[in-house]
Amino acid sequence: MRKALVIQEDIIILKIIERLVILNQYECRAIRSINDLDIEDQSANFDVIISDILFEGIAPLDFVFQIQEIILHKSLIIVTNMGQNKIEKEILASQNVRGFFPIPLDMDNIQKLIA
Amino acid sequence: MVILVEIDLYYYIFWILNYFFLLYGLCLIALYFFAIILSTRSVNRNKRKARFLQVNDIVSATDIPSITLIAPAFNESKTIVENVKSLLALQYPYYELIIVNDGSTDNTLQLLIDKYDLESFDSTFITQPIPTSTVNKIYRSRKLQFKQLTVIDKNNGGKSDANNAGINFAATELVLCTDADCIIEQDALLKMVRPYLEEFNQEIVACGAAIGIINDSIVKNGVVEKLRLPDSLIPMIQVVEYIRAFLLGRMAWSEINGVMLVSGAFGLYARNRVIEVNGFNIHTVGEDLELGIRLRKHMEEIKVPHKMVYLPETLCWTEAPNNIDVLIKQRDRWARGLWETMTLHKDLFFNRKYRDMGLFYYPYWMVFELGAPIVEFLGLLSLIVFTMLGLINWNVAILLFTSIYLLGCIFSTISIFIYVKNFKHYNTGKEVIELLLAAYLEPFLYHPILVLGQIQGYYKKIFGVKSGWGNMDRKGFKTLPKERL
Amino acid sequence: MKAEILILLIKILLLVLVIVFGSIAYSMIYRRWRTKRLQLIESTFAKICSLYLYPAPNEESNLIEIQRELKAVGIVPSKPRNVQYLIDLMIRTQRSILGNNYTKLKKLFTQIPPYGASASKLTSSKWYIKARGIREIYEMDQSQYTRDLIKLRNDDNIYVRREAQIGIVIFLGWKSLRFLPYLKRQMTLWQQIKIVEKLNDLYPIPDLNHLRRAYNSDRPYANELIMRIIRKFHLTEDIAYIIQFIDNPKFEIREAAIYCISSFSLSAEQLREIKEKFYHISNTEQQLMLLKYIQRISMDIDLPFYKDLLYNGSDIIKLSTADILWNNGYKEEVQEYYYHQYTQKADSESISV
Repeated sequence: MRKALVIQEDIIILKIIERLVILNQYECRAIRSINDLDIEDQSANFDVIISDILFEGIAPLDFVFQIQEIILHKSLIIVTNMGQNKIEKEILASQNVRGFFPIPLDMDNIQKLIA
Repeated sequence: MVILVEIDLYYYIFWILNYFFLLYGLCLIALYFFAIILSTRSVNRNKRKARFLQVNDIVSATDIPSITLIAPAFNESKTIVENVKSLLALQYPYYELIIVNDGSTDNTLQLLIDKYDLESFDSTFITQPIPTSTVNKIYRSRKLQFKQLTVIDKNNGGKSDANNAGINFAATELVLCTDADCIIEQDALLKMVRPYLEEFNQEIVACGAAIGIINDSIVKNGVVEKLRLPDSLIPMIQVVEYIRAFLLGRMAWSEINGVMLVSGAFGLYARNRVIEVNGFNIHTVGEDLELGIRLRKHMEEIKVPHKMVYLPETLCWTEAPNNIDVLIKQRDRWARGLWETMTLHKDLFFNRKYRDMGLFYYPYWMVFELGAPIVEFLGLLSLIVFTMLGLINWNVAILLFTSIYLLGCIFSTISIFIYVKNFKHYNTGKEVIELLLAAYLEPFLYHPILVLGQIQGYYKKIFGVKSGWGNMDRKGFKTLPKERL
Repeated sequence: MKAEILILLIKILLLVLVIVFGSIAYSMIYRRWRTKRLQLIESTFAKICSLYLYPAPNEESNLIEIQRELKAVGIVPSKPRNVQYLIDLMIRTQRSILGNNYTKLKKLFTQIPPYGASASKLTSSKWYIKARGIREIYEMDQSQYTRDLIKLRNDDNIYVRREAQIGIVIFLGWKSLRFLPYLKRQMTLWQQIKIVEKLNDLYPIPDLNHLRRAYNSDRPYANELIMRIIRKFHLTEDIAYIIQFIDNPKFEIREAAIYCISSFSLSAEQLREIKEKFYHISNTEQQLMLLKYIQRISMDIDLPFYKDLLYNGSDIIKLSTADILWNNGYKEEVQEYYYHQYTQKADSESISV
């Protein structure tokens, strides 16, 4: 089974994405903060990570760069409240991100990427 | 006959002083009562207002004012890399960070260059609306993820000079001046910008927020992981002092647009206005109050309705003096700063041209902020002298002292109540009891030290004793082992 | 007698102290309990929404079961604060979701309690309840109350009128520009931001007829709002509207004009107009911003313009101009200027001697 990691502080968005991911035949680990990551997460090879970029103690862009090194994964999708064009450009310029979705978002767009 | 006249004179002085102290005390008590009412109103009103403009609304908005955070650094090699990392992580979409290396003699600058992969660029034609010490080089990161970081390397000129250099270089509407060693709440900028977005008939020239004490707390990746009360009494009492000053002072003044001081450790300013008044005054150690007064004076002079506001939240954490010597030095410096500022702007005193500021706010600062240590010191002297003359009725004096002490306890307890009710920081029974105990011990163990520091500062000003900023040896908060994320 | 009064005073003060102790204890216990309750409601609601949007294959959502779950966590009419919290959660969710899921959630929220709670708030005498009611109405897309919102657009309270104005934009779109530029009171920056955002999110195709009619308004906030709309929708054909405010006597309007024009490239004619207006700006910082913009969008260096600034501008402008010229291959001009300055200074010193 494919594996997905969802990191969202807003529990409602988290739960909705978790359901979406599960229904797309993923084994899903859903957490609210990067502080909830554990050693096993670091060794698990996730097919997809769907994450926010706003976390305590790490700048949004730095997070995008660091997560490449910390957690093995095939693709990274960003879902965030801080979705201004300027931020989107910077994040996409990092070339580490497969999709960037500012909130409010249409979940169908995520579905297309993870299906 | 001569002896009788002398005794009459002593009685006369005794009663005049008695009534003076009574009147002064009653005014102060009345002001505190007012402050409680205003502060409660202010906190409630702000809570209601915040429902209509939440952090999530702001974080996703476009067209909000851009902010530059300016943090001067002088010989901070031990902590600079982590502090910059923490400052870079602040959540705000249009955010720049300027670190001003104020002529450090250690390897602060080199550490920044190495860690953040900085490269220098041509600074021949840097525009300096506010004159500062020579700027040597400007650095920016080659790495995409640190692109909002700028480091200014300049000759040493002090904190105010470094702030001015940062303000010169900033290209944003708002500038937030802080210290490189402060821990700032991650959503602080989103909250601080709120008044600028919401005001419609007055210009916000400066905005401040409460500053909390972080001694012995646990900090991880530049974020307060676990807030704890300090282990020792001196900083513990300062926690109560800061809470009380913030609630009964700043919040109350903010409610009636009477704020003149936004703390130098954490203040957001409209950059263009700061430039118009020529930035921080480098010749005073009370630069934050001085800038606040100058800004308000300037706005009054150009007849622009304006406001300086305080947010009812602790958004910045700092380490407080941990021992008596450092505390005395700090209060000595604050007292000198206050003295210098009050003297510099003495033209405000009951000056109708400056309206409320001239008629109420400045005189309040003069009488109750600058004057309080002097009155207290005089009170102590009078007590000793009149005791020696046998003029004091000890029964009444002890009862009076107990009443005043209890009244002080009530003010502190109410402050703690308002804080505990509205903010989440100290929420266990143990913490609240410790805070209350600290508040009740304060008049005996802490307040005399403050008065000593303040009087020492005034003494230096009166007799022209030279003194600078003084150093503060930081004990540091507990830092968890660094993790990569 | 004095002592007796003081003893009485001490007793009263002790009593007050005890009351404050009690209040602290109560507020701590209540908050702990309340936080747990709110977390429970939030997680239950999150679960309901996720299962409703993405039910297991071949399973239908059971509305009665959903209502039962909500009731179990305290969503009952006798607990209005819990109900209010649920409404806040509904709004938060509606605002986060687009597409099919938005429609599905909208349907769900009409089928679970509370029913019609928002409209009743419009008659409240408390501003924060009224403003909250308006917000709920527009966030939950209850357009049948548009007329009520129009009536409240000039309300005395800033929050009530702000929310009403945002609601009007949401329901009427570009037609709302019939009202918005002619309000009785000033608009905050946040109001302007929200109005522009809502137009962009919900009505992305600009209706130029309504917009251009609004150009007649002489209210400063309306000028700023229109400039922001022109910027957001990138209406290049309407740049002239922004340009006219570049040298406006009011600082804020100039600030907004310079900010908005910075998103556009200009024709040679427009650039010339901007350069003319540059000299009429009284604030050096704004001149600096405009100078940087002019330099950014110009294909070539307009030497006469820059040389004029170099010789006649304020010190700050001179320095910036020198920077631009120096970095664009006109080092000789800069050197010549500084040499000229040096000789002039030397001459004046010799004269004074």
